[in-house]
Amino acid sequence: MHWAIAGAAIGLITLCLLFVANRRLGISTGFDDLCSFVLRRPYFRRRAVVSGRTWRLPFLAGLVLGGALSAALGGGWAPRWDAGMLDTVFALGEGAKLMWMFAGGLLIGFGTRLAGGCTSGHGIFGLSNAEGSGLATTLAFMAGGVLTTQLLYRGLAG
Amino acid sequence: MAILYLLLGTLFGFVLSRSGAGDYDMVQGMFLFERFQLYGIIGVAILVTAPGLRLLQRRGRSLLGRPLEFESKPRHRGNIAGGLLFGIGWSITGMCPGPILVNIGEGKLYALAALLGALLGAGAFGTLYSRLERVFALPPLAKGTGDG
Repeated sequence: MHWAIAGAAIGLITLCLLFVANRRLGISTGFDDLCSFVLRRPYFRRRAVVSGRTWRLPFLAGLVLGGALSAALGGGWAPRWDAGMLDTVFALGEGAKLMWMFAGGLLIGFGTRLAGGCTSGHGIFGLSNAEGSGLATTLAFMAGGVLTTQLLYRGLAG
Repeated sequence: MAILYLLLGTLFGFVLSRSGAGDYDMVQGMFLFERFQLYGIIGVAILVTAPGLRLLQRRGRSLLGRPLEFESKPRHRGNIAGGLLFGIGWSITGMCPGPILVNIGEGKLYALAALLGALLGAGAFGTLYSRLERVFALPPLAKGTGDG
């Protein structure tokens, strides 16, 4: 899909969510929603988590479904292990790849909650709404990503 | 309404999948400044959302006539520190939160490990909130760091 079409579609989905359902796009709070089923600390009983679950959980389920649909319509759904350059450059075994992804996931979960949002809530909605927190967070996560990838693929593997 | 959220999520997931937003090489290409599609996607999404948001705010009401209610995310020290950590995780996995779920749907088994990590990371953050609140001068718990 052409990037301009994809960007426009994401913008329209964001606006539709706000106009029809009165909800601010944001995906990473969904991690809190899922945690709130098993964790009982006050953080997981905040109004934003409890009231947001009703829309965010079906939305997250949709993300999974959308990925499955895309795979099924594009050559058939099948379990996969491939991860492009990660395989060709670092050739991790399956166990090591799972550990690698788990470690990255820890940083994503902790980092997005500390920052108060991710690419969707800060990057797309926050910047569209000219928020200082959105600009600061977006610059920070782009910097973190650029530094890490440059180190991995131009430093270690270069 | 749950059906509407499911549909919007499915559409979002399909677009993320087809545009390469969950593709490991595409994400590394973005951070290497070799591939620019993902910058284009985010840029166009903002170009569409920003004026639409202004129009909706001028209208002031949702489709069902309710007052529009969304809050700006608070500015605090966690924005920079958390953003940096998240960016490192995005580079390591090649996924930001939406694409973790999209990749699980696509059948990429290792994305399940990224989701497990993200849930444990968020769980640790919420559990340690009162301590982190002091270190990063975060807003009080009822407000949170920003939801989304």
